[in-house]
Formats: sequence, structure tokens, C-alpha cells
Amino acid sequence: MSAVVGGAIYVPRADVPVAELPALLLPAYGETVLMVGIVMAIVLVVGTPLGVLLHNVAPGGLFERPSLHAVLGWIISVGRSLPFLILMASIVPFTRFITGTNIGIAAAVVPMSLAGIAFFTRIVENALRSVPPSIVRVARASGGSNLQIMRSAQFGEAVPAVLGGLTIQVIAMIEYSAIAGTIGAGGIGYVAVTYGYQRFDNTVMLATILILVATVAFVQVAGDRLVRWVTPQKRLQRA
Amino acid sequence: MISLLELTKTYGRGADSVTVLDRLNFEVGAGEIFAVTGPSGAGKSTLAQCINLLERPTSGSVVVNGEDLSSLPEKRLRAARRRIGTVFQSASLLSRRTASENIALPLEYLGVTPGEIKARVGELIDRVGLGPKAHSYPFQLSGGQAQRVGIARALALRPAILLADEATSGLDPDTTSSVVELLKQLRTDLDLTVVFITHEMDTVRQIADSVARLERGQIVETGPLVDLLTDHGSPLGRALQPRRGFAAADDGAATWYVTYDSADVPGDWIQRVSADLAVPIHLLGASVETVHGINTGSATLGITARSDEAVQAVLARYGLSGTPDARREATAGGVPVSLVRSGAVPALEGAA
Ligand SMILES: Nc1ncnc2c1ncn2[C@@H]1O[C@H](COP(=O)(O)OP(=O)(O)OP(=O)(O)O)[C@@H](O)[C@H]1O
Ligand SMILES: [Mg+2]
Repeated sequence: MSAVVGGAIYVPRADVPVAELPALLLPAYGETVLMVGIVMAIVLVVGTPLGVLLHNVAPGGLFERPSLHAVLGWIISVGRSLPFLILMASIVPFTRFITGTNIGIAAAVVPMSLAGIAFFTRIVENALRSVPPSIVRVARASGGSNLQIMRSAQFGEAVPAVLGGLTIQVIAMIEYSAIAGTIGAGGIGYVAVTYGYQRFDNTVMLATILILVATVAFVQVAGDRLVRWVTPQKRLQRA
Repeated sequence: MISLLELTKTYGRGADSVTVLDRLNFEVGAGEIFAVTGPSGAGKSTLAQCINLLERPTSGSVVVNGEDLSSLPEKRLRAARRRIGTVFQSASLLSRRTASENIALPLEYLGVTPGEIKARVGELIDRVGLGPKAHSYPFQLSGGQAQRVGIARALALRPAILLADEATSGLDPDTTSSVVELLKQLRTDLDLTVVFITHEMDTVRQIADSVARLERGQIVETGPLVDLLTDHGSPLGRALQPRRGFAAADDGAATWYVTYDSADVPGDWIQRVSADLAVPIHLLGASVETVHGINTGSATLGITARSDEAVQAVLARYGLSGTPDARREATAGGVPVSLVRSGAVPALEGAA
């Protein structure tokens, strides 16, 4: 598509026609949804228990282990403090070890999951911390086992806060998927980078922006609805 | 029945350690309501947590119906906790569960079948008079209703002991009274042993059979409520008396602080004292109530008499105890009483 004119690389301003946008964007959108979906499944399965564990090994938790808390907290902080692009680049050998490749969706899922787990663990920990200690005392006095207390008292009470955090997390993961797009992971981010950025295709750029904004707005509204639904006070006082 | 033997709780180790409970001993019989009072930081909540086994005592023991619960291994502690129901301050209900679902919590933990849970919860809801509110969420309940849910939850596993830590604190007086009445009723019906922890003396007078005062981790005074209230020498008895403002005495009259000092003070004692002394008596302020069928309370009087001894002798004749200069007495009692003219209690002519 490009031609050498006078020694410089010339990129023709041949924007993708509007009619062809769906054919280009829909599969990419599907890839983004798939990527974020897989990552979120992993994040929920690993991050939820990890967050509950982190909260309860902390001083004042159900089974205090200050040293374990310090180590876990430190690992998570490191994971949280690296910018995603750098995290992604720095764990390439690990990613290749796990998936056998360092490009494509599978390769993107590994760093996204790691960053996502670190993110979500903190969200869960934070949500549990906002549950009043008196609730946990009630559950203990009611004869609950640690597992029962964590499930019904701690997590049960924290559900709205966790879902609020989850909404933020999904949006962050959509953003990460776009960054992962730069290593050829596919998805809407990949399209935005290759067409919109490298080829100055304004039509595609604008289309991807619109899609991302709409998606994020939708996730936010859905998340808010969900939080409302699981909070009796908000749900019943709507009328 | 519950007894505490040399119960001691120390937080921290070595030089930083603080002994919050210092060798406490007391016994509460079945069907008895035992109130524990004391200033903030005295160790009341720590005592509650040692009794319901959320905290392990450093030494000493908590014996329930003959079994020492405090020395049980960790595994059996959870089962032991089920024998003590706890009512917490401001109920502490799970906000995402209805009243019924909150009451069901201990039953779920125990692994009771859904059918049995439903039946038992229905029973409990009726017991505490919350039928129409069974499916309300905590935010839809008043403070008193929430506290009733807390009481029902505490009773779910049919405990022998009911422990309440500031269960009525923060409720208005009427709601407090209704919660107190419920607890008294339950005590009678279920033969419960109740340990009722509060810093509110008014509530203690309403509910307690016996009272102990905890100060800096030690029980400084204890006894049956009526005995304490009718013993003018008891600091706890005095602290239990409500202190209200009173009017100033006329010029030349002494201000007397008089307490009911026996179980048989005649109802017309003011008139009789006035007649015996042959001087008018001004009623400047008073608070009298019946506790376990016995009149208790105190009155502040304005009396112009020749000698303090004469007044004291006449008061003693009717089972009363008096001190001249109530202003001094009020301060000595530790409760400052402002000398505002009380509009609510007008000065009355005692003698016709
Ligand atoms: N976990 C703990 N570690 C160290 N000290 C504690 C702990 N819990 C309580 N204390 C101390 O024990 C003392 C008694 O506290 P407690 O909560 O039992 O008082 P209280 O009589 O219930 O007071 P209040 O009327 O304000 O509720 C306080 O000085 C408190 O600082
Ligand atoms: Mg307390």
C-alpha cells in the first residue's frame, strides 16, 4: 500500500470506506470482548479469594498472619505499580512459557490477568475493610465458621462495593486490552493502532473511539444498575 | 446459670500490657437479670467479649451450667458460643438481609434445614412482636425494631444465657422501655440468665435484679438492686438514683437531701415529718419510683428546723436518711446538679 516517493515513506490517505467499517470492526470488537471476558473470569476466580485472604491475614482479620500479609501486600503493590505496558513487556518470557507465544489473544491474557488480579485483590480487600467490625463479631457470636463468616458476613455485606469496584475494573481491562493490541493481540485497540494511528485513518480512529466510549458508558451504567439492585436501600427506595 | 471465677484479661505483653479485667468474680442464677455498669473504658465490652468467648480470658474461667467454657480447645469454642446469645448495640444487622434472614443466620451456620429454619424464625418473629416486619430490610426498621431482630437472632439457638452489651444505648426512652419489657418477659418465659451491660442508670433501675459496678477492671460494688437503692451508704445506690435539678430553699431554710433508706417508707411521709417537726416542709425536687414493688428514690426538701439532729431523727423514724445542705451532698455524690429553679417541680407546702 505504501510507495517510496523521493526517499520518504508515503502513506496514502486512503481511509477505509464507511461501508466496510463493520467488516473491520465487528470481529475486532468480538476479540476485545473475548479477551476482556477471559481475563475477567480469571480475575474473579483468583482475585476474589485472594482479596478475602489478604483482608483476613491482616491485623484484626479472622486469622491474622502479619508476615504473610506483608509479603502478599508487597507482591500486589509491585504488580499494581508497574505501568501495564512495562509489565507486559517485562514478563514476555513468562508469557511465552505459559502460552508458547508472545503475540495474540492468549499472550495478552497473561499480563492482563496478572495486572487484573492485583487490581481486583485490592478492590475486594478495600470492600471488606468497609464492613463494620461489629458485623463480623455478630457472625462469630452466632457460631459461624471462618468460611461462613467470610461468605455471608464479610463478602455478603461487601457485595455492592465489590460490584462497584468490578465496574471500574472492567473498564480498566478494556483499556489494557487496547494497550495489549499494540503487541498484536487483536481487538479494537489493535485496529485503532494499525489503522487509526499508523495509517492516519481518521474514519477508523473515530469509529473505534465511538465504540470504546459507548462500551465504557454501557459498562458503567450496567455496573451502577447492578450495584443498585444488590443494595436493598437503593433498590426499594427508587420509587 | 453463669459464674465468673477470677476472670482476668490482659492485652499486650510485658511492659506494654494493660490489665483490662482484674480477677472478676460473680454468679448469675437462672432467670436472673444481672446488670453491669461502669464508666467508659472500665472494661464492660471486654467483659462481654470474654463471656461470649469472642476473646479468651488471660486467666480465670467462665462457667456456664457447670461447664468451664473458657478452657475449651479452639475447635469446641464455636459450639460453646452457641449456648450464649448476644445482643449487640444498635443491633448490627446484615444490611442486605431481611429481618427474617438476619434471625436465620445462626441457624444457617449450624446447618439447620430450610424447613426447620422457616418454622423457628416464624416463632421468633412472633415472640418479639415483629410479625408484619418479617420481610423488611434493616433500613426499613426503627431502632427498637432492629433491636428486636437482634434479640430474636440471639435467641435463635435457644441459649441458656443472654448477654447484652449496650443493647438499649442510643434508643429513645420509650423504645428502651419496650425493649427492656421484652427482655424481662423473655427472661421469665425462657428462664434465661441475662447479663445486661450498660452505662445508663435509668435502664438499670428498670431491668436489673442485681447490679455490679465495674471500675478500672474491678467490681467495686455489687448487690441486689433494691438493697442498693435503699442503702444511703452505698455509692452505687446513690449513683443509681436519678439526679434532677431542684428549686432553691427559702431564706433561712436548710436544703435537705433525703433518700428512701428502707423498704417500708410510708407514702405520706412528708406530711408526717412536717407534723412531727411542727414546721412546714417545702418540696424542692423529687424522684420516686417503685422497684420490685418497693418505693425508692430521693427528695430535696426545704426545712426550717431548730436542729439538724432533730430532723434526722424524725426522718429515720420513717425509714428515710437525710443530709442537710443538699448542695454539698450533690457535689459529693459526684454528679453535679445545677441549682436552677425547676418549673416542673414547684415548691409545695408539705403541712396543711
Ligand atoms: N484489643 C484491645 N487491645 C488493647 N486494649 C484494649 C483492647 N480492647 C479494649 N482495650 C482497652 O480496654 C479498656 C476497656 O475497654 P472496653 O471497651 O471494655 O470499655 P467499656 O467499659 O466497654 O467502655 P465504653 O463504655 O466506652 O464502651 C480500654 O482502656 C481499652 O482501651
Ligand atoms: Mg463498651
